[in-house]
Amino acid sequence: MSGLAHYLEDEGLSTTVVALVREHVAKMSPPRAIWVPFEMGRPFATPNDAALQQRVLKAALALLDEPTSEPLLRDFAEESNDLQGDLSWEFPGRLDAGSVLAEALSVLPVWEKARARTNRTTFGISGFSPETAVEFIQRYLSPDPMPNPKGMAPVSRARFSVDDIKVFYLEAALANGGRPSSFQLNEWFWKQTLAGKMILDFQDAAHLGEDKNLRMIAGSLVPPERTYEYL
Amino acid sequence: MVRLADIPEPERSYMAGLECVPYAHQPLTPAVAPEERHVAIVSSAGLIVRGQRPTLGNDTGYRSIATEVTDSDILCSHVSVNFDRSGFQQDLNVMLPRDRLKELEAEGVIGKAADTHYAFMGATHPDELEDKAREVGRSMLALGVNTVVLAPV
Repeated sequence: MSGLAHYLEDEGLSTTVVALVREHVAKMSPPRAIWVPFEMGRPFATPNDAALQQRVLKAALALLDEPTSEPLLRDFAEESNDLQGDLSWEFPGRLDAGSVLAEALSVLPVWEKARARTNRTTFGISGFSPETAVEFIQRYLSPDPMPNPKGMAPVSRARFSVDDIKVFYLEAALANGGRPSSFQLNEWFWKQTLAGKMILDFQDAAHLGEDKNLRMIAGSLVPPERTYEYL
Repeated sequence: MVRLADIPEPERSYMAGLECVPYAHQPLTPAVAPEERHVAIVSSAGLIVRGQRPTLGNDTGYRSIATEVTDSDILCSHVSVNFDRSGFQQDLNVMLPRDRLKELEAEGVIGKAADTHYAFMGATHPDELEDKAREVGRSMLALGVNTVVLAPV
């Protein structure tokens, strides 16, 4: 972000950076930056907390009102309580443990309920339906892989299928709302679902296999702490 | 809370070791008065509009996200798995606070929220983004934008 700030300032735009890694922004020294003590992936803090998000945005914009001859780096004064989690949260449905595909089909009505509740989904980057994304990964390294539709290399389709499977399960997990932490959601997905186990196995096979392209994406399938903790 | 020290290994060492070389030349564009600010957001989350080609590793391009694109048509295609996506799944504003920016416009804190916001793939060396960064900068200026909030993941 600091690099982008440099080029945009040079083009004649005033910039203010919201920074998640203080060490990096301190080294790069963009003209104006505010460090926020939030989880990676959440630069504007807590989902559906409009007041806190607005305070972050106002704090970033307020840097534009300060006289600047030297780079400004301020710390945002508030913290979020996102990582405290929600002890009452549990997956709002029953998982069919018969097979990965059966499990995904049992998640489907829960996910549809979640979509109806929020009128939004971030699923769809693979171009597949949820159950097809599961089947694509399941069969990818088998002697009988699924055909890959035109428009995306097979290895990219595999990577985005994995992304979609995670989205599908995690959106379903919030069908009844609640405020589970990202840690709780990850614990559930990687430890308690067959889909999580399938992805871990797929990553393991990708690392060990001879497909160079697949080895390259293997590291972008599973968060590193999950890999080391659970494999 | 996530600080570099809180990130598990080996990612912590990897991130700590990322090259962060300050630029010798430090351009600074003076800010206009708050009521004159026309503000766009640039995200590094690899956001795309549903149907657009997802960003892949080393993708130096950017995607434009117009006001009329619904929240449900904004997807995240960032290559990294080292950040949380569940916040974004619950609320787009966690990564792209375009609703909050509109509210600030309504309150008179800024002059105008831009009609289009932008997203890059953050896992790219800044030097490789120069051409497209300058291109998007000129596009924003042509649309009257004078202020940019840069949002990482």
